Amino acid sequence: MQGNDILNDIDNIVSLSGRDKSAVIAILQAIQNRYNYLPREALKRVCETTSITPAEITGVASFYSQFRFEPAGKHIIKVCAGTACHVKGAMLVHDAMARYMKLDPGQVTDRERMFTLEKVSCLGCCTLAPVVQIDDVTYGHVSANTASSVLKDFLARGGGGKAKKKSGTFGGQLQGEVRVGLGSCCVASGSADIKEAVEESVNRNRIKINIKQVGCVGMCHQVPLVEVITSRNGTTEQKLYAKVDPADIKPIIDRHFQPPSLLTRMKNSIMELAANIQSDDNWEGVERYSIDVREEQVASFLGSQMPIATEHRGVLDPLDLEDYIARGGFRGLKRAIAMKPGEIIEQVKTSGLRGRGGAGFPTGVKWETTASQPGEKVLICNGDEGDPGAFMDRMLLESYPFRVIEGMVIAAKAVDAHEGIFYIRAEYPLAVKRIRSAIEISMEKGLLGENILESGFSFNVRIKEGAGAFVCGEETALIESIEGKRGFPRLRPPFPAVSGLWGKPTLVNNTETFAMVPWILDKGGNEFAAIGTSKSRGTKVFALAGKIRRGGLIEVPMGISVRDIVENIGGGMTGDKKFKAVQIGGPSGGCVPHYLADTPVDFESLLEAGAMMGSGGLVVLDSGDCMVDMARYFLSFTQNESCGKCTFCRVGTRRMLNILDRLCSGKAKAAELAELETLAHQVKQGSLCGLGKTAPNPVLSTLKYFRGEYEAHLEGRCPTGKCKDLITYYVDDECIGCTICAQKCPVDAIAFRPHEKHEIDPGLCTACDICRESCPEGAVKIR
Amino acid sequence: MIKLKIDDREITANSEMTILEAASLAGIEIPAMCHNSDAGHFASCMVCIVRERNGTALIPSCSARVREGMDIVTGDRDIEEARKTALELLLSEHTGDCEAPCRIACPANMDIPLMNSFLAGGMPDRALEVVMRDIAMPSVLGRICPAPCEGACHRKNIDSPVSVCVLKRFAGDAGHPDIAPAPASSTSSATDNNKKIADSSSHPAGRTSPRPVGGKEGTNISASRAGHLTAPPAGGKTVAIIGAGIAGLSAAYYLQKAGLACTIYDNNPEPGGALRYEIDDERLDRETLDRETGMIIGTGARFVPSAAIDKNRFIELVYSSDAVVVATGNLSAETADWGLDHNGKQLLVNKNSLQTSIPNVFAAGNITRSSKLAIRSAAQGKEVAFSIMQFLGGHEPIGEPKLFNSRVGRLRDTEYGVYMTNISREKRIGPSGKDGGFTPEEVVREASRCMHCECLKPDSCTLRILAGRYGASQRRFGFEERKPVRRSFDHEHLVYESGKCIKCGICVRLSAKNGEDPGLTFIGRGYDVEIAVPFEESLDRALKNAGPEIARACPTGALSMKPDKTGMSKPGPLKTDE
Repeated sequence: MQGNDILNDIDNIVSLSGRDKSAVIAILQAIQNRYNYLPREALKRVCETTSITPAEITGVASFYSQFRFEPAGKHIIKVCAGTACHVKGAMLVHDAMARYMKLDPGQVTDRERMFTLEKVSCLGCCTLAPVVQIDDVTYGHVSANTASSVLKDFLARGGGGKAKKKSGTFGGQLQGEVRVGLGSCCVASGSADIKEAVEESVNRNRIKINIKQVGCVGMCHQVPLVEVITSRNGTTEQKLYAKVDPADIKPIIDRHFQPPSLLTRMKNSIMELAANIQSDDNWEGVERYSIDVREEQVASFLGSQMPIATEHRGVLDPLDLEDYIARGGFRGLKRAIAMKPGEIIEQVKTSGLRGRGGAGFPTGVKWETTASQPGEKVLICNGDEGDPGAFMDRMLLESYPFRVIEGMVIAAKAVDAHEGIFYIRAEYPLAVKRIRSAIEISMEKGLLGENILESGFSFNVRIKEGAGAFVCGEETALIESIEGKRGFPRLRPPFPAVSGLWGKPTLVNNTETFAMVPWILDKGGNEFAAIGTSKSRGTKVFALAGKIRRGGLIEVPMGISVRDIVENIGGGMTGDKKFKAVQIGGPSGGCVPHYLADTPVDFESLLEAGAMMGSGGLVVLDSGDCMVDMARYFLSFTQNESCGKCTFCRVGTRRMLNILDRLCSGKAKAAELAELETLAHQVKQGSLCGLGKTAPNPVLSTLKYFRGEYEAHLEGRCPTGKCKDLITYYVDDECIGCTICAQKCPVDAIAFRPHEKHEIDPGLCTACDICRESCPEGAVKIR
Repeated sequence: MIKLKIDDREITANSEMTILEAASLAGIEIPAMCHNSDAGHFASCMVCIVRERNGTALIPSCSARVREGMDIVTGDRDIEEARKTALELLLSEHTGDCEAPCRIACPANMDIPLMNSFLAGGMPDRALEVVMRDIAMPSVLGRICPAPCEGACHRKNIDSPVSVCVLKRFAGDAGHPDIAPAPASSTSSATDNNKKIADSSSHPAGRTSPRPVGGKEGTNISASRAGHLTAPPAGGKTVAIIGAGIAGLSAAYYLQKAGLACTIYDNNPEPGGALRYEIDDERLDRETLDRETGMIIGTGARFVPSAAIDKNRFIELVYSSDAVVVATGNLSAETADWGLDHNGKQLLVNKNSLQTSIPNVFAAGNITRSSKLAIRSAAQGKEVAFSIMQFLGGHEPIGEPKLFNSRVGRLRDTEYGVYMTNISREKRIGPSGKDGGFTPEEVVREASRCMHCECLKPDSCTLRILAGRYGASQRRFGFEERKPVRRSFDHEHLVYESGKCIKCGICVRLSAKNGEDPGLTFIGRGYDVEIAVPFEESLDRALKNAGPEIARACPTGALSMKPDKTGMSKPGPLKTDE
């Protein structure tokens, strides 16, 4: 790296990003994009050429977890540590990766600087758990045993990234439509390849069909999804294919859209498909694509749902404005534009809409407070969804960008704001891309920007990308972040509605809240209020994941029971284990045990049950999940995400985690359990912001319902066999002496003895689970 | 102006005020640590938490503004418990010794590092003055003390401990004690080297603290050990001391210094007790013993030799004196008959005040305990003087107030470098002076080996003060291995010890306010957040002007002033804490 080059680079970056203090995060992101870390001379140059001081740039850069101060490897491996991945063994995967890369403790980049290993709080592909992302290639259902295959596969693919082919256009009558899901889960599971295969197949067969990319369908457990709509002789037929492999595309296309002359070829193709099913997916168990399921549209999955924020799911092309408008989009805005601000607020108040970010504050009241303040107002869309195990905001931003924008414009009109900001989490590049395009398109069409719908009302929005800090989901920390500071929450009051960004009255609403607004304005507040329960009106979007058959993004009326979600929408449990509890609300929430499964899902009932709506992560746990481990998992998340401002959160959550660690390793004494509880209450009462105030919830709720498990850990027992330090692996008599376990064991804890019963040396065993997973006879057991 | 209630008192306050300010205006003190009005509100330590009467959330009063109709409670059981927890959480990651471990190991709590500083600086008189604040007979103990201090000396891990005992002996032998009673005064004064008297209240007064850390009663508190006994209560009080061993003599010394009239009774013809009649001349020469017993009697105490105290005489003394100290060594059959509670071997006394079952009778020395350690008896002689002062002042006797002590425990190999910065690397010196004492030149060399483990803000550290007040324990959350001890001396005037930082950011904000470039910044976040200089530059460059202001504003010993103005980069020889 030449000194002058870097200075020129930085000067360019600065001239593009701006020179005032609020540009600091954007500048840092641009520098890291360029160099893959933050070289010190680059930072010094920024300080020389902007109003940003060394103290500020260092403070900000070291606050956000996105930034690196050391060069990283050529490829970044992100092991998802979200809730769904965690319960399915993400840590074992992480450890296996580290072992394979020969990393020393504390080291993250291998010696050849090929890979850097990172844990990320959630990739938002919960239904593919455990998930590993290498650069832009995502691998689902990875296990400790297959971790090395993932790396090999990645390298074999030449480091990802393929050339794009253009699809041609052909004459003749439109025969139908092929819809390919392009939500993040779908993309992660390979839908881009699918789309390419469709285009290729269509080109080859010279048939005329519409290839449409659609937003998230919600059935993330079945991705990648391909829906084929054929229209012949006036009848339309719809067929949904799940977990499709690019190799399946040709037979699928041939089946539905056969050129008449190629009838026989079609038959052959179907034979081909059958052959594929037999042979294709024995690839070391990594289900990057698998083709084991072919099913009709799943009625029960969608049956109890009620799409409002996700209306027209699986149909809308996210960036097709005409499509959105044709299906009623921007009708709400048109109505709102004709109304007085007070009337809009009245509709929202009538609807009973409450903030979907977690706390459930009445949206209409917030709008009214903001509207009543003097001076210029600002509007912020909070898309900093950091909850591990939640991906509603991401899906809404990716799949319904126009709806969110419409909701924001309506809100802007209601509170008389002319400036708006999308604050979107850094880990959501696709969402940023879509919103950026949607903003451009909306501006072109006069739906955003100056003189909206020729009403004289103007509202401009811009995007601020987060940089990896869960606490920035808290509205005051988010505001600090937009101002270019460390994400330290401010003490409330004053609330942002009174004094927020740059001291201006600021309306901060969650993405989902905004996504509800167009429907309310279109259909009327009463219509919305008719859905749900008396205090929690309307619908709620959840990210459903965990040990159920069907996971994904769901939107249900408030008041639906936990049981209904688990059994009907989720399709019951996978495997042979029993339903134990649902974890609702992620690190701020708690558990609802199986015996309270009839609890209605609404703000009050969940609080009463010791859980919390939170942002809407819903992870289903089975009898194999250790509740102490769950509490520890969430605490380690919040502890790691604490901003470090107030003592109770900064040190208190760490000490709670210490006790949980000691419980999980069998070292805790009885008094520590009482101490954990006392401390949990004090952290809840004494923390400054929502992060700290809710951090103890996962502990308190599991203590409430599963105290017995905590007590077992005091005695050195983990009843579910999840806690590594409290279990022993052993081989039973079913062992056939195949030696696979001995070959796979990374620490040589199993002696190689062909045709004899193998034994595990407990002194060497690290409980990595590889032997148990790889044993063809199921002879490796846990005690 | 708005109206609110704080602790049931109606208060009118400016709406821009914080709850802390409004309370303070009304004379209600709320403890605070990270609050600094120059640096602006931040709300970090959470010690200043209060509660709305019907709320559960704890509010940082230093930052939260008053609101019309508020009904604030500043201290109930929940709040006090939460404050204690906040302090204990901070202490659980606080890496530093408030006092050097030698001083803590010393039963008399003698300020060994300060003595060493004066000895290293060639000032034996001042060294002796330091010693005699806690030990009345330094030359005697400098010969017979088993020196538990040396067993605790951190330098022991690196090579061998500082030869504290022989250094103290030198101070006693070469220094000239000031034995005049302190000038009588009824209130605390700054006359005695800034050390103030105990005002005999349960919250001893100390120096005025620069920050609002006042107690509920409105008294300013300080970590200072209640000062030393320099002023008498209302004049003319008398104390009878039975037993002229080291405990009785020590008590007499401190009571005499405080202006009380002591009469010492002993059944032997000469004072000294076991020092004279049990320890052989080889270990303790008569000349030294005579000199120090003489010095104590020389304060004006009356010595009554060969006095047989029977039960009647004892009762007479109890009635005729304002207070009695029983320091007879063993519990003889006769003493057991005096009417004091005992267990057949020792008198039963209150552990802190050393008060016996008769209110104006106190006990000190071996008669109160089974271990026979001269330094402990000497320490009790001093402690009993505290109790008697308190008792005669009309207060509950509590003995010498005990301060909170943060401790690092055993040093790690990797920390030796930190401790040895600018410290003499010479090996422990074997004394070559007369009778096994040091020569003046050796004293300077040996005292220079002291690593000065003590904190530079032992008296003004708010964390220490509040930890003491709330009875906080550093061990409650001691689940993790402690963070490493770090000390940076690279600034001309400041010492930075990151392990003592509470991450309140006062220094970050003050350095920005003062336009320091690069100044200081937070690095990282959450539990691992630290305060450091951007781009790893030196502290000297980071703080060019505001250093002293920032060190003063730092609520703990994380940033403190170097002890003198000569640019010495280590504590000593002259401690100037404020």
